[in-house]
Amino acid sequence: MSFLTSISNWLDSIPVIHQFASPKILASVFPFLLEGAKLTILFAVLGELFGIPLGLLAAVFKLSKLKVLRALSTIYVDFFRGTPLLVQLYIGLFALPIAFPVIQKVPDFTFYGGVAVLAVNSGAYVAEIFRAGIESIHKGQMEAARSLGFSYLKAMWYVIIPQTFRRVLPPLTNEFIALLKDTALLSALAITELAMKARYLSSWKANVSPFMGAALIYLAMTIPLTRLVAYMEKRLAISD
Amino acid sequence: MIELVDVHKYFGHNEVLKGIDLKVKQGEVIVVIGPSGSGKSTMLRCINKLEDVTKGHIYIDGQDITDPKNDINALRQKVGMVFQSFNLFPHLTALQNVTIAPVRVQKVDRRQAEDKGRELLARVGLAGKEDFFPSKLSGGQQQRVAIARALAMEPEVMLFDEVTSALDPELVKEVLDVMKNLALGGMTMVCVTHEMGFGREVGTRAIFMDEGVIMEENIPSELFAHPRNKRTQAFLGKVLAQ
Ligand SMILES: Nc1ncnc2c1ncn2[C@@H]1O[C@H](COP(=O)(O)OP(=O)(O)O)[C@@H](O)[C@H]1O
Ligand SMILES: [Mg+2]
Repeated sequence: MSFLTSISNWLDSIPVIHQFASPKILASVFPFLLEGAKLTILFAVLGELFGIPLGLLAAVFKLSKLKVLRALSTIYVDFFRGTPLLVQLYIGLFALPIAFPVIQKVPDFTFYGGVAVLAVNSGAYVAEIFRAGIESIHKGQMEAARSLGFSYLKAMWYVIIPQTFRRVLPPLTNEFIALLKDTALLSALAITELAMKARYLSSWKANVSPFMGAALIYLAMTIPLTRLVAYMEKRLAISD
Repeated sequence: MIELVDVHKYFGHNEVLKGIDLKVKQGEVIVVIGPSGSGKSTMLRCINKLEDVTKGHIYIDGQDITDPKNDINALRQKVGMVFQSFNLFPHLTALQNVTIAPVRVQKVDRRQAEDKGRELLARVGLAGKEDFFPSKLSGGQQQRVAIARALAMEPEVMLFDEVTSALDPELVKEVLDVMKNLALGGMTMVCVTHEMGFGREVGTRAIFMDEGVIMEENIPSELFAHPRNKRTQAFLGKVLAQ
């Protein structure tokens, strides 16, 4: 222990290391950073959880025979993929509450608003993933289902979509990784997720080490997921 | 049972069916032959509304399927279809393939559907294969599951579109035998097939299609042995020479 302490002291005596990755400061802020990471995960998981059904719906709309539904889906996907998430957050959490003051009465509206914006943003990307997945299923599958009396939507739900799962899982995981990192933008709304926590801690300690700590925590979350994607893609390539 | 009245089908400017009239009565087994591209598949697909007819009418039990007011999902349940490429659902076992439509479409109790599904699989010679996924079955076995799957909806008519032509020769017989038994059991069938032996044995009527029209029809043994139309003669000559 004293050996570790002396190494840590020695490292802290080097100015550059003290400023960027001071072991002492990292150790003291780590529990607070983990608090922030919890919120980061909560936002990402909730965003993805609501984003997936939304994206699925948008994908089914996009492939529908009805022009109105296709147009709705296109507008939705284009808007949320074509504008920065930060702008979407500003619109959702600053502009909309001014236009519709009732929103401000919702308890924790920053939290729910943040989740909502993340979900609709993620849904737009998920929509493209599911659309590609559904289009990759041979059209004979839909025909066989329809010939058995399935309605279009029932055929989608029971026959086509289950077959896309294996194929969409890797890109969906990638989308989750992206969303996880994008939650850092919530700091613009003073939500104390990981990045914001790091900013507070950094100014409190007058030292940038908390940012390095935050980066390490992001990596601890994203690297296993990236490896998982690579593994799934390899399995998929073998079975195809 | 089924009646096609002056059915025309265009793909763009390409007229693929040029006025088909056909009546299929209960218990009939119609054998449809004709060169590739003559519109045989398109005709079957129109009967099941996988394609919309451009002009004309198709009646199933007196109900016009070209009338948008009629519930197409209900009408389709009366017509079973088996495809050349099987189109089994790969994420489901053989038994699940057979039970999914009764359970999800007809809302049959799952237990009951499974009992009937096992019975149907046994009837097509696949007892013991209930829990196999399609990828673990041979082509002939897959096609028999597909037949059982269609039968599970208790259709009044079965449509078969070249169901043996994707199979290795040694697997053809097991599928044809299932179809023969169905025919002998009184099922109304329309079969696009070039299996002349099968056609002669169970067919009640044979139809020769070419360029989107029915060129000739007769009882199968007559049509195959003594075709009157020049086109039929040429076609049969080619098929028999193979
Ligand atoms: N979905 C489609 N789009 C355009 N043309 C088609 C389509 N399906 C079939 N055809 C055309 O219709 C004609 C008849 O095809 P088909 O009914 O499959 O013939 P058959 O089953 O007798 O071989 C062919 O010329 C084919 O190219
Ligand atoms: Mg064909």
